[in-house]
Amino acid sequence: MSELLNTLMKDARVWQGHRHTKTTQAAEPTGYQALDNQLGGLGWPRGALSECLLDAPGIGELTLLMPLMQKLSQTGKTVFWLNPPHTPYAPALAREGINLDHVIMVHTEDKGDFLWTLENCLRSPVTGLVIAWPGKLAAREIRRLQLAAEAGSNVCVLFRDRHYAEQNSPAALRLDLEPDVQQGLKVNVVKRRGSWPGQRCSLAMAHRASLFHHETPRVVQGPWPAATR
Amino acid sequence: MLWLHLHFPHLLLDHIRRSGENVAALVIVEGSGQKVIQACPTARNLGVKIGMRLKTAISLVPELGIVRADPPQEARILEDQARWLYRYVANIVLVPTNGLLAEIGSLQRMYGGLPAVWRTIEEVLHERQLTAWIGIGHTPLAAGLVARNGLGECSSDTGRILQILGTMPLLAAEFDGRTCTRLQRLGLNTLGEVFNLPPAEMARRLSPETLAYIQKIQGARPDPQAPWQPPHYFRQQADFVQDIEQSQGLMFPLRRILTELEKDLCWRQQDTDCLLLVLQHRRGEPTRLRIRTSGPEHRAEAFLNLISLRFEQQPLQAPVASLRLTVKRFLGREVPGGQDLLGETQDLNEAWHTLISRLQARLGATALKQLAPNADHRPERAWRTSEVRRPSPATIAATDQLPRRPLWLLQGPQPLTETPKAWFTGPERISGGWWDGQRVQRDYYIAQLNSGQLAWVFRDMREGWFIHGWFG
Repeated sequence: MSELLNTLMKDARVWQGHRHTKTTQAAEPTGYQALDNQLGGLGWPRGALSECLLDAPGIGELTLLMPLMQKLSQTGKTVFWLNPPHTPYAPALAREGINLDHVIMVHTEDKGDFLWTLENCLRSPVTGLVIAWPGKLAAREIRRLQLAAEAGSNVCVLFRDRHYAEQNSPAALRLDLEPDVQQGLKVNVVKRRGSWPGQRCSLAMAHRASLFHHETPRVVQGPWPAATR
Repeated sequence: MLWLHLHFPHLLLDHIRRSGENVAALVIVEGSGQKVIQACPTARNLGVKIGMRLKTAISLVPELGIVRADPPQEARILEDQARWLYRYVANIVLVPTNGLLAEIGSLQRMYGGLPAVWRTIEEVLHERQLTAWIGIGHTPLAAGLVARNGLGECSSDTGRILQILGTMPLLAAEFDGRTCTRLQRLGLNTLGEVFNLPPAEMARRLSPETLAYIQKIQGARPDPQAPWQPPHYFRQQADFVQDIEQSQGLMFPLRRILTELEKDLCWRQQDTDCLLLVLQHRRGEPTRLRIRTSGPEHRAEAFLNLISLRFEQQPLQAPVASLRLTVKRFLGREVPGGQDLLGETQDLNEAWHTLISRLQARLGATALKQLAPNADHRPERAWRTSEVRRPSPATIAATDQLPRRPLWLLQGPQPLTETPKAWFTGPERISGGWWDGQRVQRDYYIAQLNSGQLAWVFRDMREGWFIHGWFG
């Protein structure tokens, strides 16, 4: 019995308010030291769901995942993109050093198929990372996905709309993403397993467009009337 | 030759009880639904007797589960029994309606004597929760008579068998009514007394058919039997007394059937990739579910998972009265090897194929795609999709010379509706496509919108501004 309790404590399944014990969750480093620090030195949890909540694409949300995707695709793990809202641009991915042979795009018609596909990908040992755009999900469905994620040991990141932040969710990690000054990304930890939420950090993401914040804009004014824009 | 006869006194009852329901008392009634012909022990304890009128039985046990006997169903169930017996005995004869005859004379050496054969069969019967009376005889008819009267003994001695038969009363010896009366009028009461009559006398006084019957019991006349051949498919059925409304309720009988399928496949040394599950309803068309696996499979657990997936997807349309599982496609079993030349373990390779074919099977082959860069300057043509294939662990192509591009490309350019907050690099002029009529001449900029999104915008020849991608 006590062994059972110990396991529960160790996996941080029981939330212990005041105590901050070092937990032994399997995780993959995010590749951003500042973010790893905020996540208890761990990173993306493996065998659990992570949620990224954001308003609109183009704020550096994919760049946040690039170091992990790069690492996994090069070690031969398959990366699944499930229902991406736009086309992931192959030349840009290749430029980031991602082995496109290990990247598979999946499009599903309805939600039943979506959940089923995600579950299957999560359970498989060949999967390294699943990133998915689920849209509207009931808490019950997230729970189902969380259970599927626990069956495997893969990282699963769901991109969802920011207004779902108020809805509770069984995901192990929930990050609220906002654009920051100088093309950075403000990450706010809404929930994480085994500790208090509320950590914030800002990641420099200007490199995603080869911009450096000390530089002034390098726009060459053309012969066209720029004043209209 | 030595024959073993298995007599199943209430096969249908056993069959239904195995389907895993907890019906308190269960009886089988004859076709017209008037008389009880089989009753389970619980029902018998409550006072239900075989031959009782159904009305009487119901008044004794109001919650009685009732199943009507159905000859085709019984024949099928009998054949199911022959299928498992075939794993132990090669030469089987079906004796309708509820008997199986097996030639065991040739098996004694293999099993190490008759007692071992007997014990093996008894163990299997017990494991399958079947009630059967075993009889051994030197002729098929003798074995059948011994079994049906429950006088079976583990002895291969012809004298002993004849002795057992000799003590059998005439009524039990299954003569037709007229012959029985005539024999009784002759003052004969047991089969032994009939055996002692001189054959010539008997043929004269009784019909030649009766003589033939007696000689066949004794073994003086050949009694050829047509051996049963197992069909080259697997079929099992579970029938329910009460209709099952929840698919969860089907899992228990399915698990048993699939375990049997696994054993059957192991015994055949084969795999399958297609199961047909037919759910019969009281009314309406039966539901047919075809369960496909991505590759050869024999594990019951794997099939069960697939089926429960399917039930999640497709709830039961109507309560299920019976289910039938059929497997007709068998595939040779491959021996799993260790690592292949490329150092990939068979397991991971197989897991990859399993996953992909599962996804393709459900979503359609076009739902899965792989991306690759394409040599073209025009952004919408600088990538292509391809069919999913197992990647070879080859090296990554050199990608240094690729220009900076956004991670998201929109399906098509969208008009820019606001004035960006800040402009970064640009312009990057992309001009091309004059060779195939898809002319493109655009000046690309990186700009940040007021919402903080970093966009890849362009201005085309007609002075329109568009967003073509997001730096995600």
